Amino acid sequence: MKRRMAPRWMVFIIAAFVMNFPVIATFATALKSPREVTRNPSLWIEAPTLENFVTVLTISDRLNVYQYLWNSLAASLIGAILPMIVAFPLAWPMVRRGYGRSILFPAIVNLRALPLIVFAIPIYMMYATVGLLDTRLGLGLILAVVNLPLTLMLLVNAIADLPQELEEAARMDGARTGRLLYRVVLPLCRPALITTFVFGFITAWNEFLFGLMLTTSDAVPMTVGASFFFATSGGGVQWGVAAAVMVIAALPPLLLGLVMYRRISGSMVAGAVKG
Amino acid sequence: MAKKYKLENAVLASPTALFLLAILGFPVILSVVYGFSETSFETLRSPEFSGLKNFRDVTTDDTFWQAAWFSFRFGSITAILECTLGLALAVYLAPLIQKHGWIVAVLIIPMIVAPAMMGLMYRLVLNEFAGPIPYYLYSWLGWSPAFLSPQNVFKTVVLAETFQWTPFAFLLFLTAYQSIPQEMREAATVDGTRPWRLFWKLELPLMIPTVFVAVFIRFIDGFRVFDNIYTLVGAGPGGSTTSMSIYIYETFLRRGEIGKSMAAAILLFAAAFILLSFGQWVMRRASR
Repeated sequence: MKRRMAPRWMVFIIAAFVMNFPVIATFATALKSPREVTRNPSLWIEAPTLENFVTVLTISDRLNVYQYLWNSLAASLIGAILPMIVAFPLAWPMVRRGYGRSILFPAIVNLRALPLIVFAIPIYMMYATVGLLDTRLGLGLILAVVNLPLTLMLLVNAIADLPQELEEAARMDGARTGRLLYRVVLPLCRPALITTFVFGFITAWNEFLFGLMLTTSDAVPMTVGASFFFATSGGGVQWGVAAAVMVIAALPPLLLGLVMYRRISGSMVAGAVKG
Repeated sequence: MAKKYKLENAVLASPTALFLLAILGFPVILSVVYGFSETSFETLRSPEFSGLKNFRDVTTDDTFWQAAWFSFRFGSITAILECTLGLALAVYLAPLIQKHGWIVAVLIIPMIVAPAMMGLMYRLVLNEFAGPIPYYLYSWLGWSPAFLSPQNVFKTVVLAETFQWTPFAFLLFLTAYQSIPQEMREAATVDGTRPWRLFWKLELPLMIPTVFVAVFIRFIDGFRVFDNIYTLVGAGPGGSTTSMSIYIYETFLRRGEIGKSMAAAILLFAAAFILLSFGQWVMRRASR
């Protein structure tokens, strides 16, 4: 069957342009000088310049991008790695022995469909009592809860795909469960671990509600920091600088996502189908 | 054999169990305590039991029901739009994607951008002085709507959400479409079936489970929406874009009504729980 490709290219280009329009426009605005931004709102850049990025990357009282980036990085690392550490030993008996498949697994997996605001308020109250408000650790811990369901699912899928013979051979050699898990199963899961980490990192980096509620100054992540910049400037938003802030905030997940788009889209589908 | 591993399994499960108990256990108790008592930020340590008062306050609050209605409309309209567009794109572009896999990467970019960032980006894009959309509309049509006015803001946030999450539906449908065995298509096309007929008679019926899953996930996600609406318009003009999540947030942080916000959160949790159990029950039934 012969199919014409030209109209399909057209549809692809239009769809990509419409859906990515805010991203394209933000990149374009970020590359215009402040004077050009007010005069020329079109997508065409007359005189590309990095002026806005220089402004953003120069530390001022109003906006400390490095602090926001560091907060996001630290909290996202905790939020991506911690769930892998706690879920890995659980994923194995779930696959090999069917342990917790009827209650524990669905309970954890369903956590991710709940509205985050339901947790946000009680977590706020708890953090206020234990002193975790406005700390990177506190933010990272709750991001780890957000990532736990998908992490567990991806690890369960990965272990289910491993051949059982290797584990049996290790058992013959007298390996106990702990050794078996960390010497045999863990190394075999490496590709899945990388995917899970990247996916968790992107999710954590992009999270907004917990950053908004649980941090005020010291641990404010990049997403929330970028929104401060709009809120504080009232009527006179410096659009070029604001656009540069957004580009910097969106870039880390974008780069990771584009490099690993196959695996990222694969995990999204896997996460949806089993849910 | 099962008994032999009982202790070992429990040990292996303990990190997850302890972690969840530590982070979520105490907050769950707190929600229940505060949901049923009279508290403010000044009297946090001494909540006074007040029975169902908070729940009465919530259920008699018109804003709460408006927020519930907003979330429901927003969730259903965006879910249907996203799934229709996503399905059309997946099926139409599938032959192209077979040869040029990279175009998937371009189409999923919106999903990788934080929803909160997307909301901020739309602020720029729709701004009447610096935004390209009003600029082009003015120069081509001499007219541009006020996107964030009370009349238009609902449509604006629906479209913003739709454009960001259509890629998700697209991805699910693309995977489902690609997993239809080629022999089935060939068997159906020997007698010169038109592609359109092939879609309705063979491909769509095979993708029906995916349609349910996609609509369901997108509805739940739309129903709980917070980030992009909050950063684009906040509660909106006259509270017109107050979703359930925004309602609870505002009740808690802006107005400091702790008990009431907790009661609303408990109701939202119950609603989500019922919906989720129902959805999964339907899917289990359907897959039998």
